[in-house]
Amino acid sequence: MKAPFSSYLDSAAPALKEICALLSAEYDYVSILSTDSVGFSMRIGQRNKTVSEENLTTERGNVVRVCRGGLYSEYAFNMPISASPAETAGEILRALSQQEKAIRSLGIEPFTTPVLDDEPLTLRTEFECGILPEEADRADLVRRFSALSDRGVRAREGIIDCQATLTSTHVCKMFLSPHRDLRQSYVYSEGNVIVLGTENGKTEMARMGYAERLGPELADRIEQGLDEALDILRDKLHAGSIVPGEYDVVVSPDVAGLIAHEAFGHGVEMDMFVKKRALGAEYIGKRVGSDLVTMHEGALSAVNVASYAFDDEGTPACDTVEIENGILRTGVCDALSAARLGTQPTGNGKRENYEHKVYTRMTNTLFDAGKDTRDGMIRSIKYGFFLDGTESGMEDPKHWGIQCIVERAYEIRDGRLTGRVFSPIVMTGYVPDLLASVSMTGSEQEVFGTGYCGKGHKEWVKVSDGGPYMKMRARLG
Amino acid sequence: MMIESLISILKASGADAWELTDKVTEGLEFYFIRHALDQNRMKRVEHIRVKVYKKSADGSTVGSAASEIPPTADEGSARLLIARLVDEAGLLKNPVYTLHAPGAALPPEEELPDPNAVAADFIRALRSADENENADINSYEIFVSNHRRRFINSNGIDVMTAYPSSMLEAVVNARKPGHEIELYRMLTSGTCDPGEIKRTLDEALACGRDRLRAVPTPALGRTALVLPARTASPVWEYYIDRTDAAFKYQGLSDWELGQRVIPEGPGGNATIRALKKLDNSSANAACDPEGAPVRDLTVIDRGIAAAWHGSRQFCAYLGIEDSFIPGNYGVSGGTMTESGIFASPCLEVAEFSDFQVDPITGSIAGEIRLGYLHDGSGTAIVTGGSVSGSMKELAPGLSFTGSTRQCDNMLLPAFTRIENVSITGAV
Repeated sequence: MKAPFSSYLDSAAPALKEICALLSAEYDYVSILSTDSVGFSMRIGQRNKTVSEENLTTERGNVVRVCRGGLYSEYAFNMPISASPAETAGEILRALSQQEKAIRSLGIEPFTTPVLDDEPLTLRTEFECGILPEEADRADLVRRFSALSDRGVRAREGIIDCQATLTSTHVCKMFLSPHRDLRQSYVYSEGNVIVLGTENGKTEMARMGYAERLGPELADRIEQGLDEALDILRDKLHAGSIVPGEYDVVVSPDVAGLIAHEAFGHGVEMDMFVKKRALGAEYIGKRVGSDLVTMHEGALSAVNVASYAFDDEGTPACDTVEIENGILRTGVCDALSAARLGTQPTGNGKRENYEHKVYTRMTNTLFDAGKDTRDGMIRSIKYGFFLDGTESGMEDPKHWGIQCIVERAYEIRDGRLTGRVFSPIVMTGYVPDLLASVSMTGSEQEVFGTGYCGKGHKEWVKVSDGGPYMKMRARLG
Repeated sequence: MMIESLISILKASGADAWELTDKVTEGLEFYFIRHALDQNRMKRVEHIRVKVYKKSADGSTVGSAASEIPPTADEGSARLLIARLVDEAGLLKNPVYTLHAPGAALPPEEELPDPNAVAADFIRALRSADENENADINSYEIFVSNHRRRFINSNGIDVMTAYPSSMLEAVVNARKPGHEIELYRMLTSGTCDPGEIKRTLDEALACGRDRLRAVPTPALGRTALVLPARTASPVWEYYIDRTDAAFKYQGLSDWELGQRVIPEGPGGNATIRALKKLDNSSANAACDPEGAPVRDLTVIDRGIAAAWHGSRQFCAYLGIEDSFIPGNYGVSGGTMTESGIFASPCLEVAEFSDFQVDPITGSIAGEIRLGYLHDGSGTAIVTGGSVSGSMKELAPGLSFTGSTRQCDNMLLPAFTRIENVSITGAV
């Protein structure tokens, strides 16, 4: 079935279009993004059980973007409007004009930006979905997750708790401008099975996470993840501390995805080019990795939690090849940054929600697959590690440093896994060195969408990333 | 829709208990590239959130379910949503507990500042930074908000709190021929403290100039790590998290009250207190999000776990009736002077990419962006590499200054020193 577009937004559209038209008489550019995303979240464990008809990506509100004299301004609100669009438009105009006057009184000059294109475009996309979040049988989910939690704590000695989580969102967004009317709706879900255990005075947590463009039926997969989560927990409870140094490593597809995200995901977000904060601007057309490194970024690069038909600025989604056989080809760009740089937007203008500003943001960030096998990579290593499981990462677009916190390192000696495990692992290095060292890539690409991405230390949005198994050389601590 | 209508729906819903929070925020935002205005934004939003509770037939368990109700929702859809929440709450079986009851009257609501004036103060402070051709501000973002939060529950609490919050994100550059670096700063606070902003920016610009001269961090093996207040907060938050009632009840913390959890060392015997108020903190609301009055509370007393803190639910499970969720914290008990902290060789890390302490395992990790290697005879400026270890093993080597520095809602030792941290070099 199709994920139905919000009837609330459909009913609000005429009033919002009237606001748009009224403000167009005062401004060089006007657009409105309206959202009505519903969903739920659920966490069922032995010691606590919660259900909410909301999650981090549910929202209902509007943001008006205007431009006058090269200065872009925004007004975000969620109060009722339909009774009097003229009154709402007047309030927005008054508020923004007062703010503009205050800015001018401080002697502040705008970072003058061209007026955005508003070429005519109409789109109404309702993506395929299974069960809608709002129609999921909560009682059935609670019963199944309770059984999963019971099974988890009985599985082995020392298990303190086993929790199952699920969040599911039915996203509906509408972009209106004098010449554009874009509406889209889609569903995605994510969830985890989490086990907490203790052994010999050491306490650890392990999780298996899943995220798909599915509805709450994702619960079927979550129920299958318990054994693997228990194995990860066992490994972490028995893990030692690694001897810091530089090693040959094989990384799993989720670690490859984290590297893609932190290395040349953030590094080629082109709003950073405008601010001259990214080294990548100077490397377009130059080598930044080995011939085996090809990387895609875009809402159309995969079908996962960060896939959509258009972004939060009304730009249609793209599939951008950022790195091709080791050569940096281009970055990704939001509409305002594209106007400033004299290039085309790539459909990467995203907001945390309607209350937040647009930045250039990642969507699906992926290394291409190659021809090798994981076992072949392991066999090729005299001494090194197989890295699996991700915790977090941090970007450094100005200097191309990279920090990835990896969950587990499995020792490889003479081409075989020895069974020794080390955790946690801090992988650091210089991005071009790391990517230049890629010497083998696996034949199958996997995509992971359980994470959120921040810009600096804020502005959290859903992203997915991934790649194949990859062999490289990395500094571990 | 009107709050009074929602209250009527909640009262008639069949819920055994309920809570309603109505938070109105007016915000101003300014985004600059260099000192030119990239974009200005305004925000006027209202977030209404309800939570309903339903007990089991025998009264031994209770479940809860929550949702936001958009101000644009009509009465019919609100009624349907609340009915659904009551059904969902009935599915969940948690040990029974009761909500907070009305307590002492809150102090009179404080007058909120004019957000335009606060924003202007921020802009002037940013323009007063000590910039020159070799070190300047790349870009900055200013967020100024006033919040009014009304909390009502079925036990009779109906309280209103008003508080301001601000945030500044700034990126500074330093350069020499052929090489430019950047540093990142995020400051949160109640309103604008121009002096603190200028001091922070001037320090950042000085750090930038230092980073230009930095050499790769050598492989140091195990070395003493010194953290200034700005980078040390994850270390102290580790202790705060592990005394959170939710952590305790859910098995994430194995500490007991009366247990020594921070070893006494030659450099101090740590006391951590929740503080009702901290000047210019962004967390100075008079009551917590569950309607409980906020007060001073000693959480760790000279290294001994003294009190659990946190949400009503988990505190009730631990037998604590007068609980609250603290907003501010202060760390005291340090006996070291700043010169004493640096008296023996150490690596002082002024900038991390992202420094983390895992609240469950105590594992610490962070990539070094700027460090000062004090070897007893001189100081080398270093960059790259990482720190790692576990606070569970490192805690006996913890020492800290008696002097403090405030970082928004945390009053922290000016310097914290941890012995025997593993340092991976950049080469």
